Amino acid sequence: MNSIQKIDSAITAQSDRSPEDFARSLKVAHRRLQWRRFWRGACGVLAILALWQLMSRLLDLELLLPPPLTVLRNVILTLAISDPHWLYGPNIYVHLEHSFLRAMAGFGSAAVIAIPMGLILGRVVTLREFILPSIKGVYPIPGIAWIPLAILWFGLGDAAVIFVVFATTFFPMFFSTEAGARQISPVIIDAGRCFGARGVTLFFRVILPATVPYIITGLRISLGGAWRMIVAGEMLASQDGIGYFLMESRFQFKAVDLMTAMILIAIVGYATEKILIDTIEKRTLEKWEVQPS
Amino acid sequence: MRRRALLAAPAVLGFARRANAADRIKVGMLKPNIVTAIYWIAVKTKSFQNQGLEVVENPFPSGQTAAGIEQLMRGGIDFYLGASGEVAHADSRYVEAGKPPPIALIEGGVAGGSFLVLRNDLKGKTLDELRVQNLRIGISNPSSYHLILLRAFLRERGQTTDDFAWRFLTVGGPEMLPAMVSHQLDGFMHDALTTTLALRSNAGFVFMSSDRGDMGARAKLLPGTGVCANLDFVRKNPDVTKRFTQALRDASAAYSAAPKAEMVAIMSEWSRQDPAVIDDMYQRFDPRVGLTEAAAKTWWDILGSAMLARGEISPKLTLNDVFDLDFVRRE
Repeated sequence: MNSIQKIDSAITAQSDRSPEDFARSLKVAHRRLQWRRFWRGACGVLAILALWQLMSRLLDLELLLPPPLTVLRNVILTLAISDPHWLYGPNIYVHLEHSFLRAMAGFGSAAVIAIPMGLILGRVVTLREFILPSIKGVYPIPGIAWIPLAILWFGLGDAAVIFVVFATTFFPMFFSTEAGARQISPVIIDAGRCFGARGVTLFFRVILPATVPYIITGLRISLGGAWRMIVAGEMLASQDGIGYFLMESRFQFKAVDLMTAMILIAIVGYATEKILIDTIEKRTLEKWEVQPS
Repeated sequence: MRRRALLAAPAVLGFARRANAADRIKVGMLKPNIVTAIYWIAVKTKSFQNQGLEVVENPFPSGQTAAGIEQLMRGGIDFYLGASGEVAHADSRYVEAGKPPPIALIEGGVAGGSFLVLRNDLKGKTLDELRVQNLRIGISNPSSYHLILLRAFLRERGQTTDDFAWRFLTVGGPEMLPAMVSHQLDGFMHDALTTTLALRSNAGFVFMSSDRGDMGARAKLLPGTGVCANLDFVRKNPDVTKRFTQALRDASAAYSAAPKAEMVAIMSEWSRQDPAVIDDMYQRFDPRVGLTEAAAKTWWDILGSAMLARGEISPKLTLNDVFDLDFVRRE
């Protein structure tokens, strides 16, 4: 039986089944796919961890590249606040809390300005032509380059770090939103108008829902940027936070604490994205029944 | 005959050059930084050259002490000027893991040169009065020698920095004065140069000075800066190491003998500061080295204990892990 015949017989077999059977088989196939992805991903991660453990032990790199089990143990001990004489401050949660609040302040203020601005500039050509070149001019400046200026303007403290996070997260959000608002098909706008939507109604019923997938993408990229920048900012202009923990562990030559800080940043960053962005995504895309981009 | 002699000449010259060839060493140091000025004095007074050493300079920006230590541990450099507390931190990690320490202090400064400068409106207050104030104090890095010294002093008084409402902010040495002038800092802990600059611009006053005995009588004996070495290199090249430390001591002797103006010019060039500033700083700063066993022991008793009490170093770490006393003056 050649391959065309195989496909034919499969289609015939499918067409013989009831819709319930077909839905059930789809579910099973989906579950199998998910399971396959999970165990393949887990195998990949385990292989890397095993290689890391072996390299660390065999090449005697424990002080420079602590083995994963040692790092994992340290992460647990750090989170359990097991050391009463912890070198880096009261406990890890104080650092995480400060970093989280700074990241959210910078990210939130950037969202409040970048999203409306992107929507307006995406739809109003005249304004776009006036303002967009200036924004594009500032965009290539890396976030880290703002740090000295931020310290000069806001001093050593939270405001400087928040500003640097703002400067980093603003652009992905703005450009995504602006592109989304600009690329809405005129057919959709006309359809909305045919149904009587004008002004604010058109904006909230047509333009905003059509732009939401782009806004979500911008938020997702920006949030990653916020965590990257919070570490850089805190390393230079703060006396607490996860970036400070990272820097001080470097000065103590404790590679295991350095890696612990990095893992905690990854965990908190991932958790923030899962909770925040996924919630926004559900509340908007599902509400407006928009197809994700 | 003449032809043979001419042909042999390059070989003879080559041999002679090899016989006189200087030993090449890779030296790291904080630059520009006044505490490592002895290195430049040694270069300018040809002390390295006289000891048959050719130095390859590896500068590290001020405040990046850890970067130099990391290079030293990896063997990227053979010697490093500008760190002391970091040596104990790094060696401690190895001792904790049951391994021999990779680096050690082999020489050190003869004076402490640690200052706590505060803004002028805090003048007249005592340490206990200032303790409860929410002061922002600049330090060059979290493992700053000046901060360790303050902690050691407080420990003698039965206190820790946690008993103070002060916040220690990491600021590069050159940024301390601008930060203080712009009211971002209420004070800083740093070296004689930053202190002199603050005094010249009337930005603050010296609240505590280790050389004045404000941080305890024993703190006067502490070496302000350290010269450390990769121990693998030291074991393989003990003679080169001896000549290196001797070159630094020769430079120290030259500093003592030379006219002030000459040394001011050398230190000004090294620290990239106006000669007038260096001239002002002269009485406040001593770049010479000449670590003794007694000074090493004092360092260990004061700074080592403070680091141990805070959990920065392992209880297994000993004085002999941090110092290689074979190269230290016995008297």
